Amino acid sequence: MAPELYNPASQRLVEALAAKLRRRQVLGSRETALETALVLRQVVSKARFTNIHQLVEIIRDVGRKLVEAQPKEHTVGNTVRKLLHHVREEYNNASKGTVASSSNVFSISKFVLQGQPRKQVTTQKTESALVLREDDPDDPDSFARTLKPVLMEAIQVILDELETVYENIARSAKDHIHSDEIILTVGKSHTVETYLISAAHYHNFTVIVAESGPTYGGHDMARSLSAAGISTFLVPDSSIYALMSRVNKVILGAHAVLANGGMYAITGSLLAATAGRAHSTPVVVCAGQFKLTPLWNLYHEYGALDFADPSSVLGFEDGDLVDTVDVVNPYYDYVRPDLVDVYVTNDGDHPPPSIYRLIKESYDDEDNEL
Amino acid sequence: MTSASSRSILTHSIPEHEEAFSPSFDIYEAYQRALTNPEVRVSPYPSSFLSDSLHKISAPLAAILSLTELITQSDAGTMFELVKALNDGAEALKKRVHNPIGLNAGSELFIAFVTLFPHESASFSELKTELVRQGQIYATEALLFRPKIAELALGFIKDDSIILTHSYSRVVMQTLLHAHKRKRISVYVTEARPRGLGIKTCEALTAAGIPCTVVLDSAVAYVMDKVDFILVGSEAVVESGGLINAVGSNQMAIIAKAANKPFYALAESYKFHRLFPLSQDDLPTHNPGILSFSQPQHHLTPELVARPSVSSTSRPALKTSINSSSTPNTLLPASSVQRTMTDEQISRNPDVDYTRPDLISLVFSDVGILTPEGVSQYLVGMFAG
Repeated sequence: MAPELYNPASQRLVEALAAKLRRRQVLGSRETALETALVLRQVVSKARFTNIHQLVEIIRDVGRKLVEAQPKEHTVGNTVRKLLHHVREEYNNASKGTVASSSNVFSISKFVLQGQPRKQVTTQKTESALVLREDDPDDPDSFARTLKPVLMEAIQVILDELETVYENIARSAKDHIHSDEIILTVGKSHTVETYLISAAHYHNFTVIVAESGPTYGGHDMARSLSAAGISTFLVPDSSIYALMSRVNKVILGAHAVLANGGMYAITGSLLAATAGRAHSTPVVVCAGQFKLTPLWNLYHEYGALDFADPSSVLGFEDGDLVDTVDVVNPYYDYVRPDLVDVYVTNDGDHPPPSIYRLIKESYDDEDNEL
Repeated sequence: MTSASSRSILTHSIPEHEEAFSPSFDIYEAYQRALTNPEVRVSPYPSSFLSDSLHKISAPLAAILSLTELITQSDAGTMFELVKALNDGAEALKKRVHNPIGLNAGSELFIAFVTLFPHESASFSELKTELVRQGQIYATEALLFRPKIAELALGFIKDDSIILTHSYSRVVMQTLLHAHKRKRISVYVTEARPRGLGIKTCEALTAAGIPCTVVLDSAVAYVMDKVDFILVGSEAVVESGGLINAVGSNQMAIIAKAANKPFYALAESYKFHRLFPLSQDDLPTHNPGILSFSQPQHHLTPELVARPSVSSTSRPALKTSINSSSTPNTLLPASSVQRTMTDEQISRNPDVDYTRPDLISLVFSDVGILTPEGVSQYLVGMFAG
């Protein structure tokens, strides 16, 4: 990857974001996704490339650096993958007429992957008015020039999705929550908060919030929900199972949704989901589609994805105890796909078994490992 | 009409030209040839012990290759005739092979492909050449599927894993050998009676340096607690997302579910089969003889038989079969009793069984890591409207 395609100003931007990610100065799935999209916009607008491979290489390189800086924030990688998918899609649209049809020969492996061949070319949504000339020796910037506006549009689509994610998810709230229902939620999730507040405009219901120690995010959640006029109960985590028989629905947020339909969510979610399964209570997870990750839970079967400061569990003041006891403060839980009933996303509701299909549609297979 | 193919498939001369499916073309023979065709071998492993078994191509691919040969030999002038000839050929092949499931999957895939192939060629013979070429390309590409699957499964095999597997499967072998290069694994393999292929697996793994023990088929529940996960190959993956594999897989899956252990199936994409069995009886290999009871025989002297276990189909043969059969309940002196099932008893037992999709955790295929529900998406895409 030649250095002149990737200018120093862009490199500095990427490194600044990588440093922020490493030091945990930018936290949370949506914030990291937004920052990544903004950095990508800068990089792409300043990038110089003469063919599609160089462009893809540049974007992948940025993605790789950022993911390495903070592998636990999956939305960073997801944003990069989404952009690559858009890039390839636009490129294929634009070059349909020009590229030789050798790649369009219908082979058996294509048949297996894509199913029956379609008679008409389906992607007519963007008229391929672009004439792409790759590696043009007289005018090396022509390819970049013609493609850049399209790329900027694609990045804008990603940014728009991120900005409107809460409203879009909350649109189905009034259909899922009914009057006089008792909803259980765990800790603080902005998505769930917007969802419940939106439903509160139409129905009267009660929310039980588990306080989710030791961060006690539930306290903030309870405060904002009751400020919106929802009747709220704040309960300790230990009473989740005890109350479950009175609960009509469990609504949880997610940190990342995995390829098998499972998810990473804050601790306490596994407890609530298991208790819900034991009582046959529906478990609904509200998550934006930017949280869909084409990864599998390979390394965190019993342990958590990430750990927080153990002193909030057992303070360092108990000096002699600290020596003899291993204190663990897991921040996330892995919730298996069979414990979740439906994922409510900004693009509709989906059961866990069809998450892999959403992932196949949003991302390209070759980007799973950046 | 000689073959236009450039690969090394022997050409037949066609004596009759009237029918589209010339009866002198023996598709079964083509199939046998394709199974052992040396041109289609790929050797990722230098060990000669493994070379024979690992490099034989699997039944579905051999079926596809034999169907391509049929196309070259065929006289069909229209697509309709050609598809009819292919269907007839596949039927003929099915009858000759004892366990046609893998074959069915491969032939269905190829016939669906032929039916849906967009005809841009100028003449029909060009189209036929193209179809043959596509079939051969696919068979060669398909040899890369097993290494792909081995790589996908590698992430799920943790260091120091204890793996349980069933019978002998080439794709499982390749996955285990691939994992052995990077991680420490130990393997339990079931004997898989009556064919005893599990012993073959154990020998191959031990030769490669992987600690391996053969486990009785009846000891699967006993060993399940010690095991980290189960890995099996497949004859076919069906539309429901379930698995057809050597008999014993269903049992293993049920026990795994009860013990909360992951059950992974490895299947190349040409094994996706458009079948939707609702029970074990719905499998194409099912025949009424399986698990049938024999009629009690009143001719037999009491001391010879404590429980009826001799077939009642042919009376005259009874006496001889009594003499040669050795049942566990016989009261003959212990030294002359050999406690194994007779061939006749074995023939009353199934070869393959069907495992339900809710018992399977994941299916590893060259098209990706799929949940059982995900398999149906591919099948619907290929075969449904």
